[in-house]
Amino acid sequence: MSDDTKTNRRGLFARGGLFADRARRREALTGIGLLSPALVVMISMLALPVGALVIMSFWTQNGFNLDTSFTLDNYRRLFARSDRVTEWMGMTFHLAYPVPAILMIKSLAMSLMATVAVVLLAYPMAYFLAFRVTRYKAAWIIMLTIPFWTSYLLRVFSWKVVLGYNGAINSGLMSLGLIDKPLEFLLYNPAAVVITLSHAWVSFVVLPIFVSLEKIDRSMLEAAADLGDSRSRRFRRIILPLSMPGTISAALMVFIPTVGDYVTPQLVGGNGGTMIGSLVQLLFTKQNNAPLGAAISLVMMGIIAVLVLIFLTLIGYWKMRARRAS
Amino acid sequence: MNRIKFIDRMVQGKLSRREMMKGAAAFGVGATMLPRATNADELLTCLEWGGYDDASFFEPYMEKYGVMPNFSIFAGEEDALAKVLAGFAADVMHPCNYSVARFVNAGVAKPIDTSRLTHWNDIFPVLQKSEGVLMNGEIMMAPADWGNSSIAYRPDLVEPDFIADPSWSIFFDDRYKGKVSLLDDFLVVLIGMMVDGQKYDDIYNMSGPDILAAAEKYGNKALEISRFLWTDATTLQQAMASGEIVACYAWNDLIGNLQAEGVPVAYANPKEGMFTWFCGLTLLNTGHADEAAAYDFIDAWLSPETGKALIEGSGYGHSNMKSFEIADPAAIAAMGLTDPIKMMETSIVFRTPDDAVQEEQVRIWEDIKALHI
Repeated sequence: MSDDTKTNRRGLFARGGLFADRARRREALTGIGLLSPALVVMISMLALPVGALVIMSFWTQNGFNLDTSFTLDNYRRLFARSDRVTEWMGMTFHLAYPVPAILMIKSLAMSLMATVAVVLLAYPMAYFLAFRVTRYKAAWIIMLTIPFWTSYLLRVFSWKVVLGYNGAINSGLMSLGLIDKPLEFLLYNPAAVVITLSHAWVSFVVLPIFVSLEKIDRSMLEAAADLGDSRSRRFRRIILPLSMPGTISAALMVFIPTVGDYVTPQLVGGNGGTMIGSLVQLLFTKQNNAPLGAAISLVMMGIIAVLVLIFLTLIGYWKMRARRAS
Repeated sequence: MNRIKFIDRMVQGKLSRREMMKGAAAFGVGATMLPRATNADELLTCLEWGGYDDASFFEPYMEKYGVMPNFSIFAGEEDALAKVLAGFAADVMHPCNYSVARFVNAGVAKPIDTSRLTHWNDIFPVLQKSEGVLMNGEIMMAPADWGNSSIAYRPDLVEPDFIADPSWSIFFDDRYKGKVSLLDDFLVVLIGMMVDGQKYDDIYNMSGPDILAAAEKYGNKALEISRFLWTDATTLQQAMASGEIVACYAWNDLIGNLQAEGVPVAYANPKEGMFTWFCGLTLLNTGHADEAAAYDFIDAWLSPETGKALIEGSGYGHSNMKSFEIADPAAIAAMGLTDPIKMMETSIVFRTPDDAVQEEQVRIWEDIKALHI
């Protein structure tokens, strides 16, 4: 908008109350109008289903029937203590139903590993794109999105082909004579899930990091160089802090959805690769206990939200934002 | 409905590239095809095991209607039941003798009027009256296919002592760690107990602390030894063909499929016994299609031509006595026993646990799997 129209608008508002009101109302209506498609989608596709989950989590499943009387039983069951001790990976659980708690911890750990791997993979790619690529930048970015052109399931399946018993890695190593029988630890374990998740989410993360790197004022780097900062100091003192917000939001974008993933564990996780999402899925289907599944998914949502808030506070994200705003 | 089937099969990895391309092409012309989707609910919808969604199993139906029913593929009856309970409108379901009761008790099945089935009188009489077919005086499942569950193994890759004296203990043997695969089912625990000398008929309906302790003992051991627990036959077949696994819990059709690929494979008769199942079609009361179409579909499944296809193609038995008259004698001989009465006498017939026991078993099993590292 040019300065001219701005003055004109101000002029209109100054003319009289009624007219200004109408203009303002029209602006508000335009705003609502622009928002409403998103609002409708958010309410119908997110708020209503989550609301249904909340209501359902207070019901109970009784054989084939749903008992719709209000109760906290599902939540109580998740936290009920017991004298029976369950040991898992050196941790002890005094819970009557320890499965969700254990799977939650396991899923958080697996997602965290995948997130760290994704950021470590994506950051150099984004850095290269932002600072080294000068020509055909658009072509490079389009190339980055190529993995999106196939379905997520196909990408997971291709990892099965790569990691499989007679898959690409094994047959490659065997033809080089490095191993004489296929490595079996590649597939059907938590590590395979982490590898698959890392690859699947990398391209989601490169773009936000790239944007935050691209925004960095190059003159600051020049100034730092002029004042005698080495390349690594420039990276540590200017590029890294300034790209932090983008990197953190990208990391959260991976961490939050992967905690609840169940397709990847099912396809490449094998006997030990189950995650909390798998349990929720089973409760809604085979175990036929949707209310308990609803309660678990809501508790999971709460735990992830709390963890994210703690994480953001710890790294001073709020201060970072405030500094950027000022 | 086709959409659901497509996604199901994609998740299970059963989609061939050709079908995938067909699906992709459908999106390209999707706009012109969309209005037809609203008519789809008049088509028969069938909940079916993977591999049975083939026209050769219901030729007479195809001749009459000219169009395939909608199939939704499941990996286990509990999955299918959960889907129906969640509101999936299916007309026909393909359960087995041990799982019909679940559908009946859930109130989604309806009795079959056998006078509307032209082939009913040709069914082996023993099958017409067995547990799971006849419930409270009404026919709840039209028996169609029967066969075994036993151990398929690679004679070139297992130890000689297994071939000399086959036993289910191979799935709990440290020598086979990472080289065998059991079915993803609570049955694993029962097999473990059978290896330890218990009888299937005594333990199939067990509940309480005893079964929990057994599940922890045998379930964890089996999870440790098995390379993976299988839910779809394609993964299993590939793993057997490549030698990734050397023995597995399998149905008869795996043998024929692998032999056709030229893979050396044999079907064991373990000393603890092999299992016999028989499955069939149950009418569901959730469907929208014309009931006559459902009866035609069931009748087609009972026809001798279907039996011929089953016997020759999969090595399974069929419920229609006439099937054995028209099938290739060589294929019948390859099947081994051709008489369901003898088969049931010499093997372990799967039984139906009570609903509460069944639910407890599923829960225990899923918890054990979840906690396995």
